[in-house]
Amino acid sequence: MSHPLTAEAPRRSPLRTVLTVLGALAAAATFVFLILTQPGEPVDAPSASATLIALTGYGIATVLLFVGILPTLPTATLALIPVALVLNIVLGQFVGTALVPIYLDSIGTVLVAFLAGPAAGAATGLLSTIVWSFFNPTLIPFAAGAAVIGCLAGLAARWGAVRRLWWLPLAALATGFAAAFIGTTVALAVYGGTATGATGAVIAVFRAAGDGLAESVLKGAILSDLVDKLVTFAAAAALAYALPRRATQRFEFVRRHRVLAAPRKARDSEAAPAA
Amino acid sequence: MWLAALAAAGAAAVRAGTASRVAAAGAAVVVPFALWALAIHGLFFPEGRTVLAELGPARVTAEGLAYAAAFVLRTAALAAVMLAFSLWADVGLLRAALVRRGVPAQLGYVLAATLGLAAAVSDRLRRIREAQEARGLVVRRGPGGRLLAARLQAVPLVLALVDEAGERAVALEARGQSLPGQRTAYRAEPDSPAQRALRWALAAASAAIVASVVVPAIAGAAA
Repeated sequence: MSHPLTAEAPRRSPLRTVLTVLGALAAAATFVFLILTQPGEPVDAPSASATLIALTGYGIATVLLFVGILPTLPTATLALIPVALVLNIVLGQFVGTALVPIYLDSIGTVLVAFLAGPAAGAATGLLSTIVWSFFNPTLIPFAAGAAVIGCLAGLAARWGAVRRLWWLPLAALATGFAAAFIGTTVALAVYGGTATGATGAVIAVFRAAGDGLAESVLKGAILSDLVDKLVTFAAAAALAYALPRRATQRFEFVRRHRVLAAPRKARDSEAAPAA
Repeated sequence: MWLAALAAAGAAAVRAGTASRVAAAGAAVVVPFALWALAIHGLFFPEGRTVLAELGPARVTAEGLAYAAAFVLRTAALAAVMLAFSLWADVGLLRAALVRRGVPAQLGYVLAATLGLAAAVSDRLRRIREAQEARGLVVRRGPGGRLLAARLQAVPLVLALVDEAGERAVALEARGQSLPGQRTAYRAEPDSPAQRALRWALAAASAAIVASVVVPAIAGAAA
């Protein structure tokens, strides 16, 4: 038994696992319910029931995931989360997002997921949405979607998508599809299918062609999210490889699952003892 | 109803002295939303029957405008209420109050550290750009040039931030961040029985309203 001050914090407990699973189930149930009860035609007035179900369902999922995951994160990951949040906000500004239908608001989340795993990625997605909504409150209903993006990116890293780079686009596309479907349910139920920026223009084009509202929003979201996640995953992987090994190998997730391919120099000199 | 929520948020912001900031932040969110809502639903609403004007492929319909207006009003109410709260709340105090009520202490660190870091990062970015310009960085035209410029600025920024995060992790660990147990906040929390009663009443009312709408909707869908 070690001294209490150096004792490992309770990383996982059955209760927290149950909470996390319940949170995931709540998000999935809300998603399925919204898909099944989606009206084909837009109705004149905003429907209060669909909105409230989306907000409460995804809200409960957010709280449960939050309480289940956050206290289990190691300190190295926790210290990285504010960095990821700032990167989410700053890095998207480098690319002109006004003309291309992408958001680029999750590079930091995906980077944390690559370095610290699915749970950390999900927590970063949630926290990013919550903190960002202090400035832009319309984002808050998308918190569960951001958590799914972080979680999927972490799973992709765990299964070697960042080590074997040809898997990276596939993982990005899968994440993009998931994000598009979840985002569509929120955008329809809460905002009546309104999106700003180039995504909005894409939706308007499909509407002009006579498509139904749900169909147009889904097509617009898929188009935007697929491109967005391809660029985001590529940028996050490039950043992960640009970081010095001293920084990346600090994360247990990176070491245990060999997330990053070893650099050629290190592989050649592995036989020789380190100088 | 949404106008009443907007008015209440406005009154609260005026009372807290943050009205101009709430208005600016709210406009930054709501104005683009309103313009796009009008562009999407106002111009292209194939389900609309009452055509007001026809401009090539675009048909302005009364139904589309009403649909857009309803959602803009509701979104404006949401944004105003939440911004009136977030611009008025003192983050340090909010952190202490949340942790005292059993919210994971990590949330407080992330909230406060992000807001502090966001303020410092723009300055950091400016210094990185100046340093790269001193080394001869010229942003060339075209996507290649922009990509290179973005790489030359983003990579040093991310390197520095991740490296510092690692150092902070050691410092946090040394101060027992990951240990379980009660946290003591030095901030005194201004509270009164009236406020406490109002909070409980509002929470119960919200829960009742949500339940009164959600439960019949789910029951109706299941039937």
